[in-house]
Amino acid sequence: MKKPLLGLYALITLALLGWGYYQAIYVAPNDAMQGEIFRIIYYHVPSFAVAFFSFAVSLAGSICFLAFRGSHANRAQIADAWALAGAEIGVVFCTVGLTTGPLWGRRAWGMWWTWDARLTTTLVLWLIYVSYLLLRRFAAGPQMQTLAAVLGIFGAIDVPIVYMANRWWRTQHPAPVFGGGDGSGMAPSMVGALMWNMLAWFAWGVLIMTLRYNAERQSQKAAECDAQEALRA
Amino acid sequence: MKKLFFTLLALVAAGLFGRVVYLVLSSPPEPALTAPNHDAIVAQLNHLFRQAAYTITWAIQLGYLAWLGLKWQGQK
Repeated sequence: MKKPLLGLYALITLALLGWGYYQAIYVAPNDAMQGEIFRIIYYHVPSFAVAFFSFAVSLAGSICFLAFRGSHANRAQIADAWALAGAEIGVVFCTVGLTTGPLWGRRAWGMWWTWDARLTTTLVLWLIYVSYLLLRRFAAGPQMQTLAAVLGIFGAIDVPIVYMANRWWRTQHPAPVFGGGDGSGMAPSMVGALMWNMLAWFAWGVLIMTLRYNAERQSQKAAECDAQEALRA
Repeated sequence: MKKLFFTLLALVAAGLFGRVVYLVLSSPPEPALTAPNHDAIVAQLNHLFRQAAYTITWAIQLGYLAWLGLKWQGQK
């Protein structure tokens, strides 16, 4: 993305985040049962939605890296940069979800954490991608990117398990708000606030993922230059 | 200039983390069901925890952005 375009996109994103906050605090009503604490949903749910999207980008990048690594070196490097950016942004948003969740749980359930299927699979997902990032940070040698791509693909298997956990098993975590069958759903006065925040956090996620991708490409090009200079010397 | 901006951003993120810890630790204990001002304390607790959740979201996001910016500046 060109610099002025990126700046304009960043401004629109900040405006959306401000609008989303306004919707969440001043427009959406308090929940009849939970009161103000329910408003955490406007940050908690979009965070996980963006995390899942980011892990999907990482999955696509990992698959493309494995597909191209033998034939198209440049495409493989681009795919690898997207895989890393997706995993890192996914971990950031998953961390947000895993910290806002216990704050909500403490008030709604009277406890910070419980080892139910939804929470446990989410923690496992976070740990898998943290290990992916640690692998990329500390492993050395030409096989590092391949190993990371394989781990990224295996890690992504946990995403549908997390999503389905409160459908497959009985959990402390509430049933799905959307697509959860009879009795699920949200008051129309709250849907707007959730959708605005969903849009705003997606825009923010795409922005920081693009910045991370650019940083990684820059780092790859610098490493390539160093390698060529070493060969010449 | 950019390095200064990202350093300030990191400081803001650290400040927000501190605020979250303060909000949670300074919150009053859960009132007994029979307490005369039960509803008011519950509303106050909900407000503090909602604030803590929103604040930690921004602390993590801005902290990450600051780390990314400083890393990027270091590479240039």
